[in-house]
Amino acid sequence: MRPASSSIRTSNDGDLMLKIENLHATVDGKAILNGIGLTVNAGEIHAIMGPNGSGKSTLAYVLAGRPGYEVTEGSVMLDGEDLLEMEPHERAAHGMFLGFQYPVEIPGVSNVQFLRTALNAQRRARGEAELSAGEFLKLAREQADALGLDMEMMKRAVNVGFSGGEKKRNEMVQMGIIDPRLAILDETDSGLDIDALRVIGAGINRILRKPDKAVLLITHYQRLLDIVEPDFVHVLAAGRIVRSGGPELAVELEREGYGEMAA
Amino acid sequence: MLLDLPSNRSESWRWSDLSALQALAEARPTGRVPDKLPWIACDKGVRLLFVDGELRDGNVEIGPLAIATSHPLGRLAGKSGWSLRLGRGHAPPGLVQIVHVSTGAADHLPAEIVLDDDAQASIVESFVGTGWTNRLTGITLGKGARLMLHRRVAGPAGFVSLIDQARLGEGASFITATLAAGGRDTRLDGEIELIGEGAFAEAAAALLARGRQRHDASLVIRHSVPAGTSRQMWRSVADDKAACSVAARVEVARGAQKTDGEQSLKGLLLSRGATINAKPELEIFADDVKCAHGASVGALDRAALFYLQSRGVAPDEAKALLTRAFVADALDRIGEEEVREAFYADAEAWFA
Repeated sequence: MRPASSSIRTSNDGDLMLKIENLHATVDGKAILNGIGLTVNAGEIHAIMGPNGSGKSTLAYVLAGRPGYEVTEGSVMLDGEDLLEMEPHERAAHGMFLGFQYPVEIPGVSNVQFLRTALNAQRRARGEAELSAGEFLKLAREQADALGLDMEMMKRAVNVGFSGGEKKRNEMVQMGIIDPRLAILDETDSGLDIDALRVIGAGINRILRKPDKAVLLITHYQRLLDIVEPDFVHVLAAGRIVRSGGPELAVELEREGYGEMAA
Repeated sequence: MLLDLPSNRSESWRWSDLSALQALAEARPTGRVPDKLPWIACDKGVRLLFVDGELRDGNVEIGPLAIATSHPLGRLAGKSGWSLRLGRGHAPPGLVQIVHVSTGAADHLPAEIVLDDDAQASIVESFVGTGWTNRLTGITLGKGARLMLHRRVAGPAGFVSLIDQARLGEGASFITATLAAGGRDTRLDGEIELIGEGAFAEAAAALLARGRQRHDASLVIRHSVPAGTSRQMWRSVADDKAACSVAARVEVARGAQKTDGEQSLKGLLLSRGATINAKPELEIFADDVKCAHGASVGALDRAALFYLQSRGVAPDEAKALLTRAFVADALDRIGEEEVREAFYADAEAWFA
């Protein structure tokens, strides 16, 4: 039987990866996170659910280091290192990936150029050899094919002229290419039809369902969790985790809503 | 000699800083030519090397030139300069490359480019060194003639002033791209007149400034006859306390119906102390024309910066990538690949 809350779990299958303790954060001086505690071990998928405004996206941005999101209290450790001391690009080099709820358009920079720059910057930071143009294109093609994104789109400017669904696929292609150890996926399922959801869910499983990787899956809905089955489900309300459980908690939420918990 | 320079009270010089020119006019050239000159690898074509305004190497006609101008810097150009004349239908392969080296003083040189009907030329002028390089270029394009004239200004210090006066015949094309990516201040003036129906003029520029550097440009495209097309693409980037100023005007004469004119002026501020001035102007006296103009000035998109960083790109590299994308609108207009790559290499060196 799984413990009710992963944050109190002491023994586990995998190594400790992410440890969030008493995390408080403000945006524009307004308190959004009010004491989050969460422990994520390698090999685990954690779903974070909760109503709008509960702080889900703020948690994602704080973990990724977005400017303007100020941590006022608490700590976050990634592989035993102080995550909050790292710059956003250093967090990426340490294996963290943020899947954006609203992927950003970058006119004038092609996806291929962007991703090769990003991947090689990470590899350099880790002391690994850079990929040649040929090696990179092969990798990009494999990942684009797997996510059903036309390679021609990879040559176009980042997310410019992409539909909502294509942007989300592109996030997953990026994730496949970068191959992170810890992914924070912020409503990757929003705005997707059921076919796209299946493709993306399968992509998440393929890339991240591994003993040495972990996922924080932020979502509103049960439907993605039918494909990417979480080991733990946490409910966020008013900037705190108010309930944790196994996958059955998501089913319960789907049936009964957040009403009581968020109150 | 005391230079008679325009003052900031004059509208077209309001953003200029010509204060360095008098000292440069009095300075003595060192005559030292850098070992490495910015030639672009190209199988065919012509190379001309000017050092302090004197032809040092290459085969070109130098002789008396009379280019009428009222421009205060253009008037300094002198009476003898180089001349490129191509006869009807003549289109020599490759590039005409001209490197202008300034070794610390001022030099003035007029030039004329005359393409007869259906002639075609692609010219790249590169400006290096530390002094004041002042150039007046008269351009005459015959029916269906086609001129690509691309300029890049490099060099650590000094001043470059380029004054172009172009007249385009029926169906002629004049395509020009300019990159200012060194440490030299610039003043770029252009007067392009479409005097034959269906002519096409395109002016693109990427102006990159840092420190206390100034780039200052003023372009007028005059549609005097019907059915002409003009495009302007200005991309200014200013960092530190630098300033880029662009005044770009399209004039459409009374009879110049079916004119199609577009101008896009964009500025990117990389620091709080930097300045971008953008002044797009349209003066239209015909009633059946299509003219569009847009101007915008802003900082780098923070969301894009964070997106790049979240994928592992360090802040400086992310800024360089976005800045490169910003000027790509202008540099991508360069058709010849080897020229475009050379210009990009200069821009990359600036970003690094």
